[in-house]
Amino acid sequence: MSDLHWLTAAEAARAIAAREFSPVELLTALLERIGRLDPKLHVFIRLDGDAAMDAARAAEAEIMSGRLRGPLHGVPVGIKDIIDVAGLPTTCHSKILVDNIATADAVCVSRLRGAGAIVVGKLSTHEFAIGGPSFDLPWPPARNPWNTNHHPGGSSSGAGAGVAAGLFPLALGSDTGGSVRNPASACGIVGLKPTYGLVSRRGVFPLSFTLDHVGPLTRTVADNALLLDVIAGHDPLDPGSAAAPAGHFAARLERGMRGLRIGFIRHFHETDLPADPEVAAALENVASTLQGLGAEIRDIRLPTLSEFGAVNRVILQSEAWAIHGPWLRERPGDYGQLARRRLMAGAFMSAGDYVQASRRRLEMIATVEDALRDVDVLLCASAMDPPSRIDDAAETERTYPRQARTPFNVTGHPALAMMAGISSGGLPLSVQFVGRYFGEAALFRVAHEWELAAVTDQKHPPVM
Amino acid sequence: MDRATIELLARRAGLDKALAEFPEDLAAAAEQASGSVARMKAPTDPRAEPWPPMRAGGRL
Repeated sequence: MSDLHWLTAAEAARAIAAREFSPVELLTALLERIGRLDPKLHVFIRLDGDAAMDAARAAEAEIMSGRLRGPLHGVPVGIKDIIDVAGLPTTCHSKILVDNIATADAVCVSRLRGAGAIVVGKLSTHEFAIGGPSFDLPWPPARNPWNTNHHPGGSSSGAGAGVAAGLFPLALGSDTGGSVRNPASACGIVGLKPTYGLVSRRGVFPLSFTLDHVGPLTRTVADNALLLDVIAGHDPLDPGSAAAPAGHFAARLERGMRGLRIGFIRHFHETDLPADPEVAAALENVASTLQGLGAEIRDIRLPTLSEFGAVNRVILQSEAWAIHGPWLRERPGDYGQLARRRLMAGAFMSAGDYVQASRRRLEMIATVEDALRDVDVLLCASAMDPPSRIDDAAETERTYPRQARTPFNVTGHPALAMMAGISSGGLPLSVQFVGRYFGEAALFRVAHEWELAAVTDQKHPPVM
Repeated sequence: MDRATIELLARRAGLDKALAEFPEDLAAAAEQASGSVARMKAPTDPRAEPWPPMRAGGRL
């Protein structure tokens, strides 16, 4: 079979279970591709090819003996390097933790292994999931496979670039202010920030306790649902874990749009942060396409992006300061400049600022809940611009905060970003769908209809 | 935020080393913080509660 690297995880798992090819053949093809492309993309901080091959051989033997471990048996996955994989370093892409070896798998990794997935390695991130893209760290930043002169988004940069480039079909990232959805947007793939508490954070290095989410990055909506099925579920040892049952999302994809009410938050990209004209046109195209498929589109207003962003920053930087204060006092020079600046901001916020942000947060949650009483799903921008050049620090600094992702870290609602089109410059444009708490099934439904209409799953980086 | 206030708050936070080695980064951090706080609207209702909530549980 040719082009094994563009198979979805679901296709690969089906073919492996049917013995059309083995996990060893799949991994061999991907490792060859990684060897060829990663020197240009810098997706990996630590490639664990030998251990992955051992796991692939074991999976092959199990499958040949008729034992199928789970829905991802033999399928490779990449893990953002703030998530623990037993025996491998969790560096958070930082000199601070360069020798930090994980002693156990994070819960999400453990669940992946239980489903039969094969960990291929640890992936580039912005330093501590906040400082990047940076060129003053022990490893270079990942680059965008659509054009390696451009930023792949972050902070889950390696996850986005690696999935888009066909180095692995699945990756785990984390999202505190948009860090799964940003690389999904910049790299033209599917990234989900699940409902707060749906996926355990145990074994994931924290950035901000009340804003952190673990989420899947994939090339298709079906794979995203499949990966969420595997990693979601209550963890009694994660204090932020929800008791709500997780849900069989992959099995509920094939449903139409008729009768679905979608709230379009136009003010985010029209007046709050006026978007690039190609982004605005792509969003209108998504809305009109879904309307043509039977959805009802209504205008929705929420607080401004400026205010959502301020609340997110005050909470994030206050909580992050509590984590990083000791290192910033003793080893400030071991951080890159971007992380140092962003993490030290918490030292200039008061306890009163933090409590006010937390009180305003509850009001914002109520506003979004009110909006979701009248509609089933929200539609809005993810990024306001195509991805910037990675070597243009000023442009990256300008465009990085021009996004509409942080509101849903503040409120904890599930939010999915995916390709909305391709710019005249050949770079992905994006759209975001937002759902009710634990309403990921409705998000997948809408995203899948858009994917089928726009064939976004068949659009790959041209140079790859 | 003026330089004297930045220095005062940085020293109170124990960031003397950063103040000596990276004064511009501290100034940038202080500017980020004051900008975010200024853009935030505090609730006007004195009874407005925070999220995550304080919850009485069966155990601590």
